[in-house]
Amino acid sequence: MRWGMVVDLSSCVRCFGCVAACRIEHYLPMGITWPKLVALETGGDNPTVSTYSVRCNQCKDAPCVEACPTGATTRRPDGIVVVDQDKCVGCRYCVVACPYQNRTFLSKDKDQGFFPGRVQTDFEKAGKKLYRHQIGTTEKCNFCVERIDAGLAKGLKPGIDRDATPACVNTCPARALTFGDLDDPDSEVSRLIRERGGFQLHPEYNTDPSVYFIDGKIGKTDTEPASRKESEAIGVPD
Amino acid sequence: MEMHQWMISYTRQTEWIDKRGILLWIAFYAGGLGGGLYLVSLYFNSLWGMFISWLIIGVIKGGTHLLFLGKPWRFWRIISRPQTSWLARGFIFVVLFVGSGAIQLMLSHWMPGSVAEILFKVSTGILAFGVTVYTGIILKNIKGVPFWNSILLPILFVLCGILGGFGLSVVIALAGGDVNLSAAEWGSRILLIANVLVIILYLFQAEQREEVGKQSVMEQLRGNNAPIFWIGIVSLGIAIPLAIAVTSLVAGEIASGLLVFGVICEIIGGLALRYCVLKAGAYQPLVAKAQ
Repeated sequence: MRWGMVVDLSSCVRCFGCVAACRIEHYLPMGITWPKLVALETGGDNPTVSTYSVRCNQCKDAPCVEACPTGATTRRPDGIVVVDQDKCVGCRYCVVACPYQNRTFLSKDKDQGFFPGRVQTDFEKAGKKLYRHQIGTTEKCNFCVERIDAGLAKGLKPGIDRDATPACVNTCPARALTFGDLDDPDSEVSRLIRERGGFQLHPEYNTDPSVYFIDGKIGKTDTEPASRKESEAIGVPD
Repeated sequence: MEMHQWMISYTRQTEWIDKRGILLWIAFYAGGLGGGLYLVSLYFNSLWGMFISWLIIGVIKGGTHLLFLGKPWRFWRIISRPQTSWLARGFIFVVLFVGSGAIQLMLSHWMPGSVAEILFKVSTGILAFGVTVYTGIILKNIKGVPFWNSILLPILFVLCGILGGFGLSVVIALAGGDVNLSAAEWGSRILLIANVLVIILYLFQAEQREEVGKQSVMEQLRGNNAPIFWIGIVSLGIAIPLAIAVTSLVAGEIASGLLVFGVICEIIGGLALRYCVLKAGAYQPLVAKAQ
């Protein structure tokens, strides 16, 4: 079993729903975001903006795991790379070693509250109790590992049952994100990668990311989504 | 919320040089300088040099690196896991160097010439080399920064550390310490030329490697790093020490103050070199930009 994600670039509507859902799910401090939206212009005289929703790639051969000197960063048998903040020493080697720049060091200035100098909101107070972010350690997306573990314990299937699926996938209104088991050839993610030419970012690093992208149109000038037909075929709304 | 435009263009690493990263820069340089001085002091059998290198590594290198960590009191987790990464191995080199070096210094003071002293000199020398070289290996192994992916980087860091070691040996000799001044000066001259050659080779190799490597070299030569590169590395680190070295070679003897000034310039040059290497390290764009 290896959990993975497919991002449909032709469906993303740049709503930042994934970013917001993650912030709420993990009570993220204001200074950091786990998923990010990368925007870039394509097409010369008639430019369109493409958006990549990126997050930790949960690489199979993760440079951050190799770099971590304390063993705080580990790769679970299901492929999810997790950080044990109680073991992290804050050397930031993993932050520098990640070629995708998907790790963040949580410094004091990144955790000054939603309204610095003012009283904390109830949401922040709840977050401090429910999801402890340790200043002086590194953080990254963990594919909502808590939801997956809790869901599996209840007999649910991640990627199909919402209670066992990452928050960003549940929230995406355009259904641009799909989650599932990459090792299962019949899973939705495997099918999308197979049928719609899924690709990984920077495969030359030989890290084998678990996040794939489909329907990229980098460098093309067409104004139509790259594979409207395929999107319609699987019921992706316009 | 913001669009992360920075991920579609070359972005330099910031964690290991900006803000508190300055501490890591000093730690990296102090490790190289201390290790280099210890190796040079072994050559001259200079107890003063060994003691100063022990202080540099134990206090400056160890102290600044610990201060840099987000959770410094957890450092024991690093030294208990040598199998993980070169950062862990480097920390272990430092801790063992401090322990082994302290014993060796005591043996050299009270039991000079004993078998134990020789054994500890050998073991501390190996550890000093480890402290000198490991920072270069760490950077070399980082896949996402092409500017650092070169075997020349650890070599450069070792040569730079030994050059600094010869420089400090000159100062020890001038202060009446147990170092042969003429030999230390010759060592400085040879290492200076070796450093220049490796720097040129390193930049040439980085420039050839990938587009982002070329960007890093351009950043050194013409970008924001240019003043530090040309003034710090080229002028202070190479030209002035080289001019002093040539003058002392031709004239036979020059003022002590000038030699000390040359050593200070060398050390500033070494610091500038580490700074530029860390500052110019840039990542490939996450997403290939449209043509």
